[in-house]
Amino acid sequence: MRAGFASQIAALLGLFVLWEVCVRVFDVAPHNMPAASAVLRDMAANTDLIGRGIVRTLSETLIGFAIGAAIGFVFGSAFAVSRALERLLFPLFIVSQAIPVIAFGALVVMWLGNDIWSKVAIAAYLTAFPVTVNTCRGMQAVDPQRVALLRSFGAGAWVLYWRLRVPYALPSIAAALKLGISLGLIGAIVGEWFGDTVGLGIMLLQAMYNENLPRVWSVILVCGAIGILLYSAFEAIERRWIWWKQEI
Amino acid sequence: MRGFLFAAAGPLLVVALWEAIVRALVVPVYVLPAPSAIVLKVWTDLPALLGGLSTTLMEASIGYAIGAAGALILAMLFVLYPRLERVALPALVALNSVPVVAFAPVALLWFGSGPASKIAMVTIAVGFAVFVNAHQGLCSVDESAANLLRSFGAGPLRLMVLLRLPAALPSIMNGLRVAVVRSMIIAIVAEMLGAVSGLGWTIFESTQQMDFLRAWAAIAVASAASMAWYGLVNWIDHRFVFWR
Repeated sequence: MRAGFASQIAALLGLFVLWEVCVRVFDVAPHNMPAASAVLRDMAANTDLIGRGIVRTLSETLIGFAIGAAIGFVFGSAFAVSRALERLLFPLFIVSQAIPVIAFGALVVMWLGNDIWSKVAIAAYLTAFPVTVNTCRGMQAVDPQRVALLRSFGAGAWVLYWRLRVPYALPSIAAALKLGISLGLIGAIVGEWFGDTVGLGIMLLQAMYNENLPRVWSVILVCGAIGILLYSAFEAIERRWIWWKQEI
Repeated sequence: MRGFLFAAAGPLLVVALWEAIVRALVVPVYVLPAPSAIVLKVWTDLPALLGGLSTTLMEASIGYAIGAAGALILAMLFVLYPRLERVALPALVALNSVPVVAFAPVALLWFGSGPASKIAMVTIAVGFAVFVNAHQGLCSVDESAANLLRSFGAGPLRLMVLLRLPAALPSIMNGLRVAVVRSMIIAIVAEMLGAVSGLGWTIFESTQQMDFLRAWAAIAVASAASMAWYGLVNWIDHRFVFWR
């Protein structure tokens, strides 16, 4: 859904204006929907708190994502190389996805403490599956003729892996990483609901309990901004480093 | 049959290992209960758990239906009216960037603690997943096929029904499949923030009361239901989308 950077910014600004106008014109009660100006004012007045929340939630997301992606890459490669391993362990991964890990949150907090690591664990758990699937499928989709060609040049398993399977799999891995970073953010936010003192998820929860709607919406806006930032960052990396997406 | 046995071997092995470790190390129930204890708890608490399951399933399925239908209609409208798409798409993309769970407090404040807020949450989560796939599927039609139909005098509506929809069906089914798992999870997460019944609320309440065995039993029931529902959607996909 690329619509040009400038027009996207314009559309967002238009949305804000529309929001403000609607609230004023329809005289919407502040406890139903705060005015855009009220939300922005709240954001400006609490930059310190929001800043700390961003740092915490972002680090949970990124660390969890990194761990989950690493696990996914390792397992995906293992599954692609060994069919026996795949048939044995892959169903396990599928079952693990049916289990609402987010429901686990309280248990994870009990195991890993009320600190950053329980959120990291949830984010990693959510990221690992898509990365595993896409790594495995991407590597398995290698054209057997190319494999035969490389082998005829005397390529060993290691070369075959790094020079053929990995580049082949990178486009689908990239897709999984983009999904994974969004899931990691969700995992971090929900993980914070189970108990913590700082973080965007906690701010959201506290704002809800205090019925502080401007705060709720400012956190929502911040989360959205982070979501866009992370996704765009990965898109940019993908465009720069994995440019062969269409050629395979 | 052999394939199924092989597939079941992994999870069964893990369950067996789990049981063995818990017994050997005498792990306390509140840290990690044995699978046998969980199964027993599910059995003894079955009426209550099934009651919670029916609430959660109701919320998830109603939200799923509304979300999927709404998303499909919206995607079709966007293709039929490009002006609408140009105006509304950036708004949708912006909303989509917000992690859906962040909207949960708003849903609860607007719709209260009853099922309505959960249905609303599932609707937007499913809606986004299905819309992205449907929109992509409807737009990526072979231009020459579209031109052929146009040369026979087909208007945009006919084009939609005869060409775009069938071509988009694999993408749509993909979106529907992804949305199935999300709907259960979102319903459960929304219930954890505040509800009167449902599996998520059961899990939340059990952890508050430190009755972790009950929480595990509810999680087991939720997982089984998710897998069953996912299997159902998969079956529908195989049965009715034969031209992939």
